[in-house]
Amino acid sequence: MEPAVRDAGVEGERTSRAPGKRSWDEPLSWLVVGRTPLASHLLLSPASLWVLVLLVSPVTLLTLLSFAKIGAYGRILWSFSLANFGQIMRPAYLWVIGRTLVYAGATALICLLLGFPAAYYVAFAADSKRKHLLLFALMLPFWTSALVAIYCWLIVLGREGLINALMLRLGILSTPFSFLNTPFSVILGLVYFYLPYMVLPLYAALEKIPRTLIEASHDLGAGGLKTFLRVILPLSWPGVASGAILIFVPCLGDFLTAEFLGGPRTYLLGNLIDNQFLAAQNWPLGAALTVLLMGMLMSGLYFYGRVEVEETSRV
Amino acid sequence: MSRRALRIYGVFFYLFLYFPLLVMFAFSFNNASRNVVWRGFTFKWYARLLHDTELLWALATSLKLAVAAAAVASFLGLLASYVLARHRRFRGRGFYAGLFNLPLMIPEIVMGVGLLSFFAKARIPLTFWTLAASHALIALPYTIGTIRGRLLLLKDSRLEEAAMDLGATEWATFLKVTLPLAWPSIVAGALLAFTVSFEDFVTTFFVAGVGVVTMPIKIYSMMKFGVTPEINALAVCLLIFAALALGLNQLSSSGRAIESDAGPA
Repeated sequence: MEPAVRDAGVEGERTSRAPGKRSWDEPLSWLVVGRTPLASHLLLSPASLWVLVLLVSPVTLLTLLSFAKIGAYGRILWSFSLANFGQIMRPAYLWVIGRTLVYAGATALICLLLGFPAAYYVAFAADSKRKHLLLFALMLPFWTSALVAIYCWLIVLGREGLINALMLRLGILSTPFSFLNTPFSVILGLVYFYLPYMVLPLYAALEKIPRTLIEASHDLGAGGLKTFLRVILPLSWPGVASGAILIFVPCLGDFLTAEFLGGPRTYLLGNLIDNQFLAAQNWPLGAALTVLLMGMLMSGLYFYGRVEVEETSRV
Repeated sequence: MSRRALRIYGVFFYLFLYFPLLVMFAFSFNNASRNVVWRGFTFKWYARLLHDTELLWALATSLKLAVAAAAVASFLGLLASYVLARHRRFRGRGFYAGLFNLPLMIPEIVMGVGLLSFFAKARIPLTFWTLAASHALIALPYTIGTIRGRLLLLKDSRLEEAAMDLGATEWATFLKVTLPLAWPSIVAGALLAFTVSFEDFVTTFFVAGVGVVTMPIKIYSMMKFGVTPEINALAVCLLIFAALALGLNQLSSSGRAIESDAGPA
């Protein structure tokens, strides 16, 4: 074999060209190795163009559209007016926006309360063989379509659903009771679908806590409750924060849950956007609602970022 | 909290997660068309699925779409994750990493209405291919995440350095060491992208043109019509598909370590 021609370069970078290689080895090797920043930008360009064209420019367009006006037959008149945002500030819309914030917050909170003991169980109480299975079982409903998750609850809660059938047969009810179309059914649907988003980051945070730290706390005389409150809970905080943001943000834009498990009385921001774009064909107003959604998303991420910074500066 | 109380809670928690799925599963075999009262065992809803031509068309569309989206997302993801994991640090790396995460952070409804307005403004008609391009966008963070993780592991293993020390050229190292060792993650990423595309509803709902009906869109319109056991049977099939895809993904992405791959064949 040839002698090693490569100097001990930094990060696998070659500084000299090896003589006597087959000709197809040589061209474009600067591109593969990334010898210049240009090579890196060039290789990144297909993926970044994809995102820039199909995501960044549509979002920019939506922002511009939110200042436009609607003409006859849904025609868009480009202008700079705040009329759409003025319309959003009407009580009818404000109610829906407030409801969306409340439902999203409630969903995140309920997911935290239900998910924390579950994540604790998987991280600390389950034996390692079963752990994989439990995590897999947690992710499975999450990987099936949201439609399936919603459909399940339609069968259970509906007027001709399982609970009604059981209660009628047992004589608890004399006429079917509608569990659907209530805040309860919508929040239940949201909690059911978004629960894994809370449990997985919580599990990741709990799993990272060194067992020796917990033992040390016990050795120093702290009881189970004190160890939990003073050691485990503070260390699981990053998991709580990312779980909350992972649930809160998509809940703001969810429209399927309220469409099937709720009704006009429980419609959320996502339903308004859906309605303005597809049924009412008032795209500028829909765009303004979308811009509002993105504003709420960004303030959520901002608070999340601050929590994270605080965490890292404290450690 | 005692261990025992936790165990009991764990059981109830998983019951809550799986109870509705079990109800759906059970009633997919129920020999009654509307009520959830048990009227005997039947396979007829599954048989009916096989004879529903519209549904089979939707399945074919979804499969084609998922293959196209997975192919594009894997190719773009491989290029991008290779640069992010292996090239020397350069200015703007953080910008790219953030950019590729955007499709995960932005709610799907925003992407849906954004793409709809974008295609309308650019006067691009909504076809199968615009939908495939949109699905590739949604799947991109998943392929990048999967492949990049593997490439970073590979960097730690220093197998490429060894190949170069033994006289392999840069291209030979890339083609004979890097690419084969990264292959399981490319497959895992493609599988993930396939699943993401196959199950996507929200973006598809806004961007699919009139003639393009995917499986989730078909389910949506069936659900709008009302609850029927046929949907139960269909949902059970989707659940089994998701379990298989998720299992395969876990096997191919985390099953084998770099070292054992590199062992003598």
